[in-house]
Amino acid sequence: MNYRKLVTIVEEIATEGGRPVDPVAKVAVVAAVFDNPWAGQGFVEDLNEGIDAVASELGALLAPRVIEALGAPLEAYGKAAIVGLEGEIEHGSALIHTLKFGNHFRDAANATTLLPAVEKRGPAGVQFDIPLKHFTDATIRSHHQSVEVKVSDAPHPGEILIALAAATRGRPQQRLAPLSTEQ
Amino acid sequence: MNPPLIVSSDLSTRSTLAGYSDIAAATGLRKLSSTVEEVPHENLGTITRATAMAVIANPWLGTGPDHDLSERTEAIAPLLAKLISDRLLEALGGVESVEAFGKAALVGSDGELEHAGALIHTPYFGNLLREALGGTSIICFADGRGVPGETLRVPMWHKNAAATRTHYQTMDLFLPDAPHAGEIAVIAAASSGPRPHARIGDRTTDRPVTSEILKGIQL
Repeated sequence: MNYRKLVTIVEEIATEGGRPVDPVAKVAVVAAVFDNPWAGQGFVEDLNEGIDAVASELGALLAPRVIEALGAPLEAYGKAAIVGLEGEIEHGSALIHTLKFGNHFRDAANATTLLPAVEKRGPAGVQFDIPLKHFTDATIRSHHQSVEVKVSDAPHPGEILIALAAATRGRPQQRLAPLSTEQ
Repeated sequence: MNPPLIVSSDLSTRSTLAGYSDIAAATGLRKLSSTVEEVPHENLGTITRATAMAVIANPWLGTGPDHDLSERTEAIAPLLAKLISDRLLEALGGVESVEAFGKAALVGSDGELEHAGALIHTPYFGNLLREALGGTSIICFADGRGVPGETLRVPMWHKNAAATRTHYQTMDLFLPDAPHAGEIAVIAAASSGPRPHARIGDRTTDRPVTSEILKGIQL
């Protein structure tokens, strides 16, 4: 998998709401920045060739890295596709909304749910929030959270940035009633 | 309830990568974050650069310019240097991989610029960071007052020879949700190499250049 750069971000929250968080709540993000496989081709009707060339290899690159960066058992996860200004949002969606990509992460994390995602187009350095949900039950409210990301100098107009995110737990001071109490 | 972690009180030999709730309490730590950038390079393999940041409650909130900063500086700055350097070394894979370094501090809007300076411009931070990263040169820096969500460009230069032009570089650090008005963000950065295609000479190869050169430039 050829990429221009790979960025790993780890956040450790030790205090929230003025109270200690122990053990710390960790969130890890790994992002790869690479050439848009459909750059310069105009409107490509059938995206399958590019998906087959990139999606599985990308998932295999990012999944073990984000799990290693987290360094503790994963409980919530998410993904992101940020397309440079000369591409289509559909190009980013094509690479992440396929089992060829997501199964690498699900299998490595013993996860079962679909990965929540953010897809957008933007200039280099655009800020985006990756949503995360529980890895085996997307209705578990305590684990709904997001992480703010900004990768400097990426994606260039002809590039795509794809990221995976993982968290060790739910929100640091989660204390909302579960969904079942309202149903 | 998990039993408390049994840890050595000797911080010089203890890793702070996990189980550091005692240090978090002692420093007023809200969060740590690290950002690692890996850029493949045809000749150098991969150039790895990292920043590590600690966001703490400003210990001098509500004090004035006549307040002595030394007591809290000596108590807190060495712990921050330890938390931060442990993460930089983990990111770069060891002290032998560190070629360049830098540091920064941003104080939230309720604090004084001097509060940021106290935590990075004294030996209680700088000497420990330099020692941990195996350097000898003075450490370049950025400081200021900041708001949550800004992007800070952290400068770095060679850890043993500050005037080595190939290693002048900066790394962008995004600070989501920090520093709050009553907080200070303390940061350090390290790089495993020079700029990717450094080729602008060095002071050892420059000819003498003064304003005399303006007389000879043909427009």
